[in-house]
Amino acid sequence: MADDKDVLRDVWFGRIPTCFTLNPDEVTEREAEPYYLLLPRVSYLPLVTDKVKKHFLKVMRTEDVEEIWFEHEGTPLKWHYPIGVLFDFHASNTVLPWSITVHFKNFPDVDLLHCPSNSVVEAHFMSSIKEADALKHKSQVVNDMQKKDHKQLWMGLQNDKFDQFWAMNRKLMEYPTEEGGFRYIPFRIYQTTSDRPFIQKLFRPVSTEGNPHTLFDLLKEMCPDALTKDGEEKRFQVVIHGIEPLLETPLQWLSEHLSHPDNFLHICIIPTPTD
Amino acid sequence: MSCGVLDEEEFSRCCQLLLHHSDSVGDGWSWEAVQSSDEGYLKKTVLRSVPADQSITQKHKESGSDSEQFDYCRFKTEEQGVNGSADSLRPDVEDEDDCVCRAPGGSSCSSVLQFEYHVLYSCSYRTPVLYFRASTLEGRSLTLEDVWNSVHPNYRLGLQSRPLDAITQQEHPFLGQAFFFLHPCRTEEFMKPLLQMTWDQNRPVNYVLSWLSVVGPMVGLDVSLDYVTLQQPTV
Repeated sequence: MADDKDVLRDVWFGRIPTCFTLNPDEVTEREAEPYYLLLPRVSYLPLVTDKVKKHFLKVMRTEDVEEIWFEHEGTPLKWHYPIGVLFDFHASNTVLPWSITVHFKNFPDVDLLHCPSNSVVEAHFMSSIKEADALKHKSQVVNDMQKKDHKQLWMGLQNDKFDQFWAMNRKLMEYPTEEGGFRYIPFRIYQTTSDRPFIQKLFRPVSTEGNPHTLFDLLKEMCPDALTKDGEEKRFQVVIHGIEPLLETPLQWLSEHLSHPDNFLHICIIPTPTD
Repeated sequence: MSCGVLDEEEFSRCCQLLLHHSDSVGDGWSWEAVQSSDEGYLKKTVLRSVPADQSITQKHKESGSDSEQFDYCRFKTEEQGVNGSADSLRPDVEDEDDCVCRAPGGSSCSSVLQFEYHVLYSCSYRTPVLYFRASTLEGRSLTLEDVWNSVHPNYRLGLQSRPLDAITQQEHPFLGQAFFFLHPCRTEEFMKPLLQMTWDQNRPVNYVLSWLSVVGPMVGLDVSLDYVTLQQPTV
């Protein structure tokens, strides 16, 4: 379907207008101007913030610079989460542009993973892809790929090349027709109201009777409190790539079209804004 | 249990058995339940002493010839009688269970490190996964480099050549904090022949215990032989 391919493009090219400001407590030689940037939803902070780093390093002395980290309203941002997920979870109902504070000191090493180079990002990304395929295909598809195919997935993401990425990724989206879908759906649900960072469990795209499971079915099983009961006011929004898909949407379709490049469906449950 | 993997229920059962044995020998494992669910994980905290000038702050080259600088104070390698299957991961161990404190300049052990080990279940790979972190008593977290330096040099070479078995940083799925973990994608591969052998010999086996006895020593976690003699059938 031509429409479905458009969805893939819309997901890939989603952007978030962001304003980066230097933490006021950093020691600078002169005042640092904020830096504005459109961030790709499907990428990761370390991959797209070289210019941000360069911009702020211009006003700092090297001895005052340690590992860079980002924070929004006091919360350190986990660079290993896709940018769009961080935005939807922390800031979707705030005024644009998204405000991110840049730090070069006091790295919060209990909460954040270190990211000394892009190869660490690559390792995480590939690890997610492999885990997703373990769930979808018992790792058969990803293990049948060659090293250069894996590299193509990574390079496609790193260089923002939709066609290069999807030439390989489409293999990871196939399934035997008689199965009706993947073995299990790779997903993670993030809830602002939970201590747990996310929920990730086994869930099949098709019921034992052969009926396709929907987003509603998934939520009912994993976090029923997020769903609005009859007669109640809607307390939570279920957000994927910044939109609220209909709860009747088949999960298999969501997995094929609204997954991130890491092949996971990242679902944010956030409180409905009270205007 | 089938083909080198186990489901979550079996994982919980194996953990409970391990806990039972741990309690009887005072080995310090506990079960941490996850809020309002039957999910949970095993946890153990260990204090370890380290020579003052050990490479917490020094840079070490990753080569076998550095082993004379390596501190053996912290590790005992134990043979669990499953060499045949785990050979690909466990090299020939020459020095066994000698607690020898070798530090450059002959200085004595002086600082203490706290290691925390967590055994979680991965539903994606259907195997247990080992997460761990280490810090000084003052609360300074150890870096990946510090951790690499604390791995027995014989294991280190083996770990580095297979990147997906390597130790990397990862977010703890329940705590959301930074831990190190041993990637689980190869676990099925080494557990399969191990389990097959025990079935062929009609021996009882605790998957989690067997798995832990293979991966634990790589990161300084001892698994006492007492467990093997005390365990009951689970298959």
